[in-house]
Amino acid sequence: MSQPPPDQPSAAPAAPATDLTTLFPQGEGIQAQIARRQRNATIWRFVFLGATSLAVIILTTLLLSIINQSFGLVAEQTNIPETQLIVNYQKSLMLEASNVALSSEDDAALAEGIAADAAGVGLLGNAYTTQNQDTLRALSIGGVAPTAETVQSGAYPLARPLLLYTTATTVADKPQIGAFLAYYLQVADEVMAEIGYFPLDEATLAQQETTLLALLGATELPTIVPAEYEGDIVIAGSSTLNQVTREVAKRFRAEGFQGAIKITSVGTGAGFAGFCAVDGGVDIVNASRTITQLELESCRANALNPVATVVGADALAVVVNAQNDFATDITLEQAGLLFSSAVNWAEVDAGWPAEAINRYIPTTDSGTMDFFVATVFAAQTLADLPYDSLVTVFQANVSAGRCRAAEAEQRFYADRFVCDTEEAFTARCEGENPTTGCTLAPRDHASLEALVQAEVIQPEVLQAWFLAESIFRRDEIVATALEEYPSADVHFRRWLTWDFITRPQSATPELAGVRTAILGSLWVVGIGLLAGFPVGVGAAIYLEEYANKRKRFNSIIQTNINNLAGVPSIIYGLLGLTVFVRVLEPITSGAIFGVGDPTTANGRTILSAGLTLALLILPVIIISSQEAIKAVPSSLREASFGLGATRWQTIWNHVIPNAIGGILTGVILAMSRIIGETAPLVVVGAATLITSDPSGPFSKFTTLPIQIYQWTARPQQTFLLIAGAAIIVLIILLFILNIFAIYLRNRYARRIG
Amino acid sequence: MENMEEVTPLPKSTSVERAPLNQLAKRPRVGEIIIEAALFIAAGISIITTIAIVIILMEEALRFFADDRVSLVSFLTETIWQPEANHFGILPLLNATLMITAISLLVAVPLGLASAIYLSEYASPRVRGILKPALEMLAGVPTVVYGYFALTFVTAILRAVLGKDLVQIYNIASAGLVVGVLITPLIASLSEDALHAVPNSLREASYGVGATKFETATKVILPAALSGVAAAMVLAVSRAFGETMIVAIAAGAGPKLTWNPFVSAEPMTGYMVRISGGDLSYQSLDYKSIYAIGLVVFVVTLILNIISQRVVARFREVYE
Amino acid sequence: MSNVATYSTNGGPYAIEAQDLSIYYGSFRAVKNINLRFPTHKITALIGPSGCGKSTVLRAFNRMNDLIPISRAEGVILFHGKNIYDHDVDPVEIRRRVGMVFQKPNPFPKTIYENVAWGARINGFKGSKTDMDALVEESLRDAAVWDDVKDKLNQSGLSLSGGQQQRLCIARAIATRPEIILMDEPASALDPISTLRIEELIQELKKNYTILIVTHNMQQAARASDYTAFFNMDADRAGYLVEYNQTDELFTSPKNEMTEQYITGRFG
Repeated sequence: MSQPPPDQPSAAPAAPATDLTTLFPQGEGIQAQIARRQRNATIWRFVFLGATSLAVIILTTLLLSIINQSFGLVAEQTNIPETQLIVNYQKSLMLEASNVALSSEDDAALAEGIAADAAGVGLLGNAYTTQNQDTLRALSIGGVAPTAETVQSGAYPLARPLLLYTTATTVADKPQIGAFLAYYLQVADEVMAEIGYFPLDEATLAQQETTLLALLGATELPTIVPAEYEGDIVIAGSSTLNQVTREVAKRFRAEGFQGAIKITSVGTGAGFAGFCAVDGGVDIVNASRTITQLELESCRANALNPVATVVGADALAVVVNAQNDFATDITLEQAGLLFSSAVNWAEVDAGWPAEAINRYIPTTDSGTMDFFVATVFAAQTLADLPYDSLVTVFQANVSAGRCRAAEAEQRFYADRFVCDTEEAFTARCEGENPTTGCTLAPRDHASLEALVQAEVIQPEVLQAWFLAESIFRRDEIVATALEEYPSADVHFRRWLTWDFITRPQSATPELAGVRTAILGSLWVVGIGLLAGFPVGVGAAIYLEEYANKRKRFNSIIQTNINNLAGVPSIIYGLLGLTVFVRVLEPITSGAIFGVGDPTTANGRTILSAGLTLALLILPVIIISSQEAIKAVPSSLREASFGLGATRWQTIWNHVIPNAIGGILTGVILAMSRIIGETAPLVVVGAATLITSDPSGPFSKFTTLPIQIYQWTARPQQTFLLIAGAAIIVLIILLFILNIFAIYLRNRYARRIG
Repeated sequence: MENMEEVTPLPKSTSVERAPLNQLAKRPRVGEIIIEAALFIAAGISIITTIAIVIILMEEALRFFADDRVSLVSFLTETIWQPEANHFGILPLLNATLMITAISLLVAVPLGLASAIYLSEYASPRVRGILKPALEMLAGVPTVVYGYFALTFVTAILRAVLGKDLVQIYNIASAGLVVGVLITPLIASLSEDALHAVPNSLREASYGVGATKFETATKVILPAALSGVAAAMVLAVSRAFGETMIVAIAAGAGPKLTWNPFVSAEPMTGYMVRISGGDLSYQSLDYKSIYAIGLVVFVVTLILNIISQRVVARFREVYE
Repeated sequence: MSNVATYSTNGGPYAIEAQDLSIYYGSFRAVKNINLRFPTHKITALIGPSGCGKSTVLRAFNRMNDLIPISRAEGVILFHGKNIYDHDVDPVEIRRRVGMVFQKPNPFPKTIYENVAWGARINGFKGSKTDMDALVEESLRDAAVWDDVKDKLNQSGLSLSGGQQQRLCIARAIATRPEIILMDEPASALDPISTLRIEELIQELKKNYTILIVTHNMQQAARASDYTAFFNMDADRAGYLVEYNQTDELFTSPKNEMTEQYITGRFG
């Protein structure tokens, strides 16, 4: 072949170059080309890795964001705190008891009474006890006697601070108040000791001085010259502190104070009532206990911000007549008995005589009473109150109309009425629209508790913060919250608690739980599996072991199953709604068996939901079981047939035992799919709010994911938070199932290997 | 060892008791027949289910169209869905569903495919053993949880980044992004299977001519597995199209024809959940309408599934 | 039909007989027009090149081919004077009386004891636990594997070596007390020493059983069998019987040219 001369254009198609090798990169070009390709490869490697990691990161983010929502600070407000209900209840018990010999705010009168009554027992401040040592005797509690030492160390359980409450505004408006407080602190130790109370330790005193400085807006404590001040000072409150304050006032006046000081002993509670009211006229409260949440709220409602100054400490003493020779030491519990339910001494301690107890106690407004009850019954919750008392509490705290409505929903007692009347009830139940109370059994203790929680205590979370914020910006949040929600209590709240899991559903998010939903899920999924498992596995056995795959019908079944697996779950919901809820209503509502739930009487039941889910998981179970059956080597079948086994003997003895691990794994995965399934159940008709546990397959239903959906769909933030907590419950449930599936898979793998 | 042993001689008499002769006739094995019949019925239930779905959807949809207030033409062409005003145009609902599907694919296709390539071609067995189950876990999270995630997290981030004026609380974008997260593992897992099924000889051939890993993966393995990957994509589209809870929670209520992904617009499945969640009469037009919409959802997903299965079957024929 | 009495008893000269047997897979005819009768208490070897259908023929004698949905048999197999392909014949009963040992050892993933006992149990063995123990021991002894397994009857059958597994499978087959044992290349997956032991075992077994054995190994056929049937593949790829005779005769003086070529190794 003749070669065209170089550099000469040729009309002929481009002829191949002499040496094709030269067309590849040469010399350094090779290195550069390889380096470029390698660089590309490396870059893309990281792109691919990044994409994969992103998926994992999303999963982590999802979990973290949910955890972030389920814990955190909240500003929570209650109508009445639970502790207050308990205190009120116990106090009323104590005051209404038949063996109260005297109830008075005048401690001197109480002391006199006990002194004159050999069977008397009473509650007195330390001052009165020490002043009447020859006629009265203080009991030690749990082996600890009230002394300066035990009070300061906190060993004596009934030790309490003595406080003065005022506000910054009052101090600013009336300089004499600040002066009096400062003077009070200066002389407090001396006067306390003189009258029979306990002085402050140094650290507490220093703290009080700082508080006072802030109140006065000064940098160092001024030396008070009482003569420089004038104007009135109105002090009201505790009888315990009354003596001390009188003595301080006496000295204050003696040093030249010009104005009038009016001191009344009305009890701490009444003191606060006057103090917090608009124009209540009280400048300083003598308090033998700290302010309650309720009192704080009513103060703040009137733009008053009470500030406490601790001026001393008292040991509340349980005192008996000096002639009492058997009681020397009691426990806190016995102290509770002594002043509440016990009628004679023997009931408190078997070793004591069965003589009547005569009580000498302060009145209902007394801080002493509040302190005593709150300390002795500190561990009590609503659950500890007897049923009757809960009914009383409920009745006392809601309107008569609301009480009747609650009784119409569900009665309190089978044999009597609390707010309703026999006639009205009978008329209603025989009329057109009988209420649920006509058929339901009376409330039990737990449901009554829930009622009191929801309607009396009425907790309400005004705002909640996420976990991350709550950790990193805690102080800031607390400060803002106090300002924005003066009446609320700011604390850390775990939304996912054991209570949350065991409480029934409720319309109040703060009180709602997922017990109803968990039980509903178990029922629905249980029925779904019960129906889906045998049918699914049976179908798989038929298709793998019996069906002639060349027959058209069988291949249609197979294709059909694959297609069913891809049908969106909501379509199954429509199927369930039409077939199970409407067409088969007599069966699914239980009407045909005469066991239907009278409150629903339609097909929207656990049974309908379960059967719908059974159809939904059927393709999943069939396909995974087929895979497991296919994995059984055919040599086993041949061996079995060769021995003269029938087909079913072969399947039952060899195919199923060898495929069971795979089948179960598939079933559990199917189960974890339907546990999270929501859309078809909404369509089938999950109940929006049911608070009673499902009682059988014909009950109305809700499930955990339905609950999450319904809560998520609410606009209030609190519902979103409990939805987050419910999600964690759901995920934990799924996680357990998956672990179980992995365990089965491993066991199965070992068997075959 | 075996060869060292003596063969044990047979005992003199084995005294075999033979069965009576001429007993070869079939014994009626009633149990066997009942069992087979029961199993056949079990398999047949799936057929019944399908038939029931079709009949129910058709029947109620026909009742819907039989109503004077509705016509098939206006159903398919009208741009307003307002049952209370007798407007039944499916376009706003369909449009929202399609937008969500499209957004989800924007997320899931690159993410899922890249993950599949990484897992199949790059990852060491150890890494693969960690990442693949993690992906599968992502697929196992209930969709209601994803819905919550969309509403409380993705929407919050969109609003923080793009501004609260632009992004509404309920919006298409957030639902679409999270549906994308939902179908990513599906694409990744199925595509990975397809890539894995490509015979090693092809990889060796590619490396043999000096290709890098990246070149092998994208220019040899991916094209070879293309139909398997395509089938995964189609299946993912079907899944996104029929997804319900995420859109019901995050996309908002109220059908609206819009191109703006940051406003709320109700998709088909979301509408079905909202309407059926209320207490409505079986005779109302609203109730019948969810069957008509359900029929659309069912037909579209069914077609997509069949396409996907066909493609997979062809792919199997090539490599198995 | 030929004289029934000839085949009717255990002691009769022929245990089973194929008449004009053809087997189809779909439309494909795998073997055609086989006529064969197997003498009682003798070992008959079926030999031939791969694909000639000898395994298919063997599996026809206990209707194992039924398990392949597309397969179909034409012609007659007489067993106790009855055509086993008649519609009223129960394949389960046939398989009980015509046992089978497969190419690869396939013990059940159960204990050794259960492997042997299971077949007897499903076939209605009504003995007590002691009887079953005796049956298991006897079967294992007959299969010459008792000494290997007697201390580990509760271990999995899969824990044995290949040769032991195959002898376990033989024990399993004889525990149901069949009349005929079909063996489909029973030693092909085994090492030479295990093979030898299986052959010795087969010789022992023929005292009580009629044995049909498919083998691809001509030496094995010559060594171990009394009769040999040679199959070949026809132009239409269907297998057919070329020659059937006493083993000595077939190997020393084959009547058919093709047989001679095959046994001398010129094809196959």
